[in-house]
Parts: sequence; structure tokens; C-alpha cells
Amino acid sequence: MVATIRLVHPPGNAPSAGDPLAYLDALYRLARRLARGSAEAEDLVQETYARAFRRGATFTPGTNVRAWLFRVLRNVFLDGRRRQARGLPVDAEADPDQSPGPDAGDGWLRGDAELEHLRGVVGEEIEAALRALPEHARTVVLLDAEGLDEAEIAVALGCPPGTVKSRLHRARAALRAQLAEYRR
Amino acid sequence: MDCANVREQLRDLVRGRTAPAEASELRRHLSSCDACRHEEAAERLLDEALAARLPRPEAPPSLRREIARRFEPVREEAAAPPRPRRPAARIALASAAAVAALGFAAGRAGQEPVAGARLADELVTDHLRTLASTHPYDVESTSSHEVKPWFEGRLDFAPVVPGDRGELRLLGGAVGYVADRKAAVISYGIRRHRVTLLVFPRGGVLGFENVPAAGAPIRVERRGITVALWGASDLGYALVSDVSPDELGRFADELAPETRRSSR
Repeated sequence: MVATIRLVHPPGNAPSAGDPLAYLDALYRLARRLARGSAEAEDLVQETYARAFRRGATFTPGTNVRAWLFRVLRNVFLDGRRRQARGLPVDAEADPDQSPGPDAGDGWLRGDAELEHLRGVVGEEIEAALRALPEHARTVVLLDAEGLDEAEIAVALGCPPGTVKSRLHRARAALRAQLAEYRR
Repeated sequence: MDCANVREQLRDLVRGRTAPAEASELRRHLSSCDACRHEEAAERLLDEALAARLPRPEAPPSLRREIARRFEPVREEAAAPPRPRRPAARIALASAAAVAALGFAAGRAGQEPVAGARLADELVTDHLRTLASTHPYDVESTSSHEVKPWFEGRLDFAPVVPGDRGELRLLGGAVGYVADRKAAVISYGIRRHRVTLLVFPRGGVLGFENVPAAGAPIRVERRGITVALWGASDLGYALVSDVSPDELGRFADELAPETRRSSR
């Protein structure tokens, strides 16, 4: 006699058997927020699946599939931007581990006004604020919001797990600073 | 604990990922520091805003169809009979037993997925990749006497390659990876489904510690795919397929003794 457990999806909510599309929506959401439009987002997702299912794709055993798919998606995106820049470095942005970033706890953001504002921000404001962030900051905030843990985010970003906590902290502080702009 | 330190930990505290001792230290700091308390409130509100107000678009149906068409060549659910749904109470009991046996836990979003769940995910992915591949076998043969010798020199262990049994037909083999070590990937067909048997050295494979080397295989379901796991001396065996869990379990029950008999 053997025991059967269903680990992820409650009964009735399971994707169909053999469904490699379980993470499609989550991938599409990140793609929409990286890309300049829905057509580019769809291309990114298509290319992500093409790479992921290519024979000999470099899935690192022991890591999880979701994190790995996000990593592939981000690489597809960055490769595309690199090509557009014709070999120039894509990211004129500072090293995400070095840039100081705003400390949202001090100065202009402190006080009940920020909390009141956060209670009232609308979806479009959050989207606009995310767009204003550097790509790495936007991505780390969104992966965290999708429910990835630090180890998964490290896989997705290709960075050491130890730097995820501080990256996420700085990115969220930057997002709050950006949101505060709309308050004025 | 200074404020800068506390702020970096706040994220974990809000998410409930902090160890109890550390959490109480953080709360002690918060009770005496207005600025950090403000930070905690802002963290929670930002989470709330991201979760509830940031639009969460779903992939357009056309994109879903296109990807399903291109990357899911073996999708024959329509042909398969609907799976019987077992009563919730039995699931709960079975789950508790399996969690105890395996150390598996639900890898829900926001929780640290445990090794067993990761291993099961990996095995399912290996199976799906074989399905999606246009050349799933490096050695294409319906005879275990051809497939087994093919692995010699390609692996540093000798997998047992069970031949046809009942409706299960051997299709071929390839070398793949499980938990960073080389593994035998053996493909079978049954009706219009595929079954993948992965064989790998079990020592040190996270999530495999408590899989029995004698007795009935352990069965786990991930994303609608069933994985049956058993050990045979120093090798681990995993049978993966989207056939019904009961049918896969029966094959595993038959194959396990055979692999154990023949192993060194």
C-alpha cells in the first residue's frame, strides 16, 4: 500500500496532467512589466519556453522549475536589450549590490502621511512607479510579490542568495520613494 | 540590533519567515523605535497594495494555445479517462502519512519548499522535458538487452533496465541528470502515454533520505503527474508519468522487486 499526496494544487484546482504551462500566467505578468508592450511580452514568453524546452537546456538540478523559468525569461529579456544596444552594455545602471538607494525610513517619507498615501495608491500608480525603477529592482519586487522565496529569487536573478535580502529591501524602498512622488 | 539591521529583517518578519527567537527580538526593537515601527507598517501596506491593487493580467488565450501547441506535443488528456477523485478525508490521512514518511511538505508560495518537494519537481520536469523533446532517446531500442549495455561507460553505475511488461513498452534510453549527478533516463510507452524511469545514485540526494530501500515505493503527485520512488541498494529509482496514480503505483510495485533482485 502506498500513500498518495497532492503537493501543490488542491483537488479541483490542479492544472491538467502533464501541463508545463502551470507558470505561464506568472511568467507573462513579469514579461508585461519588463517589455514595452503586450506584443513584446508575448514574444518574450514564447522565447522563454523555446529555450526552456530546448534539448540540453541548462536547468540546474536541485533548483526549482519556477525559479529557473523566471531566470530564463529574464535572460531572454536582457539578451534582447543587449542586441538592441549593439554590444553596448545594456545596463547603464549601477551594480544593484552597490547602489545605496533611498532609505525610505528617513527624511521626507517618514510619518503618517506616507502610510495614508500607501493605503490609497491605485493600481496605475503602482504600475507607473514600478516602470520608473531600474530593471533589477522592478524584477526583485515582482518576484517577491509572486511568492518566490529568497533562494528562488537568487536562482532567478543569478545572484548569491545572501544578497537577495538587501536587494529586495533597497528595491522596495525605491518603490516607496517613487510612489511618494505621486503624493505631491 | 540596530535600525539598519532591523529594517532588512522586517521583510521576513512581515512574511512570517523569522525564527521565533529572532522575531521576539525584532518586536522588542519595534516597541521602542517609532521609525522602525513606521517601516513595518509601510512594508505591510506596500504588500497589501501589490497584492490587491496591482493588476495581475493573465496570459492571453491565444498565447496559451500557441505555447501548448508548440511545447506540449504529448497532450492526450481527452483520450484519457477522467481521474476518480478521492474523498477529502482520505487525502488528509494519506498526506499525513506521506509527510511523516518522506519529510515532504506543501511547497506553497511564500514557504521554503523542502528538499522532497524540490526533488519531485525536478523529476517531473525531467519527465516533461523528455516528452517535449523531439529526440528523447540516445539509444532507441525495444530490448532491455540493448539499452542496458548502452549505459556501460556512460554511467558509473549499472541501472536495471526492466523490459516490456503488460502494456508497458520499452522505447529507449538517454543520459540525464538528477540532483547534479548523471542519471539513466529510460522511456516507456503505454497506450498513448509515456512513462519515464530515472535511475541515479541515491547517496546524498536531498529529499531521498527516507525513501525505502525495501518495501513498497512511495508515491507523490505533482502538477497532475505521479512520481513513484524507491531505493535499491545504493541506487534510487523514480517512475514518472501522467497515467493514473493507481496504475503507475502498480507498475512501481512490480518493478521495485525486479530492480532490487538484480542490483549488486
